[in-house]
Amino acid sequence: MTRTIPLILGLAIAAVATIVLCTFIGPAGFGFVSTAPGAADIVGGIRLPRVLAAFFVGAGLAVAGAAMQSLFRNPMADPYILGTSSGGALGASLAIVFLGGFFIPIFAWIGAVVAILIVWSIAGRKGVISVETLLLTGIAVSFFFSAIVSFLIAIAGQNVHQILFWLMGGFWNASPTDAMLAAAILIPAGALLFFMGRDLNALSLGEETAAHLGIDATRARWTVLGASTLLVAGAVSIAGSIGFIGLVTPHIVRMLAGPDNRVVIPASILAGGIILVIADTLARTFFSDLPVGIITAFIGAPFFIWLIYQRGSTV
Amino acid sequence: MTKKTTLNADNLRAGYSMQEIVKSVSCSFTAGTFTGIIGPNGSGKTTLLRAFSRVLPSSGILELDGKPVAGFTPAELGMALGFVPQDEARPFSYTVMQVVLMARYARTSRFASLTPADYARCNAVLEETGIVHLKDQSIRALSGGEWQRVLIARALAQDTKVLLLDEPTSHLDLSHQSDALALMKGLAGTGSTIIGVFHDLNLAALYCDRLIMIKDGTLVADGTPAEVLTPEKIREVYGAEVVTARHPATGRTFLMPLSSRSCKTPARQGAPLRVLVVSGGGSGADLLHLLAGRGYDLSAGILATTDTDYGVAQALGIPSIPILPFSQITAHSLEKLRGMVARADRIILPAHPVSAGNLPVLFVLRETGAAKVIVHLPEGREFASYDFAKGVAAAAMTDLCSAGASCTSTYDGILAFLEQSDNNIPPQSE
Repeated sequence: MTRTIPLILGLAIAAVATIVLCTFIGPAGFGFVSTAPGAADIVGGIRLPRVLAAFFVGAGLAVAGAAMQSLFRNPMADPYILGTSSGGALGASLAIVFLGGFFIPIFAWIGAVVAILIVWSIAGRKGVISVETLLLTGIAVSFFFSAIVSFLIAIAGQNVHQILFWLMGGFWNASPTDAMLAAAILIPAGALLFFMGRDLNALSLGEETAAHLGIDATRARWTVLGASTLLVAGAVSIAGSIGFIGLVTPHIVRMLAGPDNRVVIPASILAGGIILVIADTLARTFFSDLPVGIITAFIGAPFFIWLIYQRGSTV
Repeated sequence: MTKKTTLNADNLRAGYSMQEIVKSVSCSFTAGTFTGIIGPNGSGKTTLLRAFSRVLPSSGILELDGKPVAGFTPAELGMALGFVPQDEARPFSYTVMQVVLMARYARTSRFASLTPADYARCNAVLEETGIVHLKDQSIRALSGGEWQRVLIARALAQDTKVLLLDEPTSHLDLSHQSDALALMKGLAGTGSTIIGVFHDLNLAALYCDRLIMIKDGTLVADGTPAEVLTPEKIREVYGAEVVTARHPATGRTFLMPLSSRSCKTPARQGAPLRVLVVSGGGSGADLLHLLAGRGYDLSAGILATTDTDYGVAQALGIPSIPILPFSQITAHSLEKLRGMVARADRIILPAHPVSAGNLPVLFVLRETGAAKVIVHLPEGREFASYDFAKGVAAAAMTDLCSAGASCTSTYDGILAFLEQSDNNIPPQSE
């Protein structure tokens, strides 16, 4: 408990510092004060919305991951691994192909909900969920949804580029509207999950345990599932599938502060934002605007394997 | 003074999607009692407990303090009823204190912090359960027994009037078992209602005021441990043979299992085979126990009251002819033995020390058809090593064998002898 306040405070300062610094870094020039013509447009019109969008998306994915890990009673859960992101991507693809790109966030949300309900009904109903069952179910759902997306690409015609964009995950076209949409989802959903910290703690020991401790376990479960799919759907609509932020961030936070969700939730919001902003800045500055999903996967996948290897000692 | 009913179930039914496990159970529990729910595997004990705690939907009447349990909000129920599970998964490294503090969630608004009073209560519970030294340890590093004590502590910290325990001591060692159950008994003494599922009947008998026995989801017995734990009920419900006795230190009923009854016993004219075991010096104790478990109609011969065999025969309710230790066998006792020998279908003579005192017993056996006698001589021993009558006893035993008695060195040999078909049994001598 004594480490909680310094940790949150430190992360908050780091988050502000990261946003400011990364707004002033880019292939077009470095430095806080630039007198070059067009500098203000690049910083305020392009970089700031992009940095903010990355921050809110990263925060949303990380907090969704933290909540899903408690709900599935499994530290390996993550929106990407459980197929929630591919569900969102499928929803978005359907909206692009059949609705000309309208209602992408809504369809992404429906896709994410369908995916998580399938995984929940197979792997999460009761008792202990083994990592194996959870991962296999997530992989199966991912493959199935990806197959449908591939089918859509095959028949999409001129929309192919737009769908491929979702699949790779990036912030090329992040607009001020995107940043605001991400914030509009993150602020209420994040606050909801924060105030459900105790419910999440109890749920992470089992739904029956939660019920015995006086928690409305069923309502808590649906609320958490609703909030996390909303966060994932928002992230997917803005930036496509970005993996491993939801897995890696809560882990780092738990290593620093322990598993109490009253700390893990706010700390994951801040840390997830910081990590994705840094990853995106690396992508656009040093890798000629490589999709940021590739960078998170480069770092996240080995981390995931290391976690499986380490499992059993300290999680 | 009538005690207040806390939990009341009437015609309660519960189960899982396709199968009803608890079929119409009616019982009520009063404040200040420690009740044990017992029954064989799969009888519905845990299901009943989970129906009580509302995590499993049930039909019928279920009331807590006179109000339907269905009407409680989750938080109200969390303040009224605590539950100790058998085990619980530990995917995250909470500290012991963090887990115990979860007991106070039901009493705290989600927008407020836990108060110093909550921390004080949890510390007190950690003291009571003897795990205060584990307070800051990660739960993933605990042993099964330590974790079970954390689960007990957490339920205690809920400060509920009713406490449900699902085999609360299954992972505990002997001393922690008695600590935990004495704690529960103490709580019952201060007015709590404690209901626990037990696998270990003796533990239940030792600590519970009342036992409820369940079979196939219905209540088959309800009463004090002495009323419920009878050999007849245990046979009916568990299909096991036991003997009951009084616990020497507590005066409470306790059970001792006999061998399984599952093997078929050969019956003669519908009745069990009558087997006489002529033993002494403890040589027949294991045999009596083994055969009693297989349902033979047993009798034991002449036994000194200090003999182990006599104690075993008494405990198992097997008739014998008791004599005072170191006394001469009277003509009257020998006459009774002749009667037993005549009535027996088979006679087993485990080799045992024979002196001038009990030598007449061998003569009785020799004069009554040796064909139905089997002598058990352990591997590597000779009759001479049991002879304390200057060779007469060894000679008598050898005579018995040459006169047609069977001889074996194993218990399997004895069982095979007993299980021979009726045709091989010699006609009874009158």
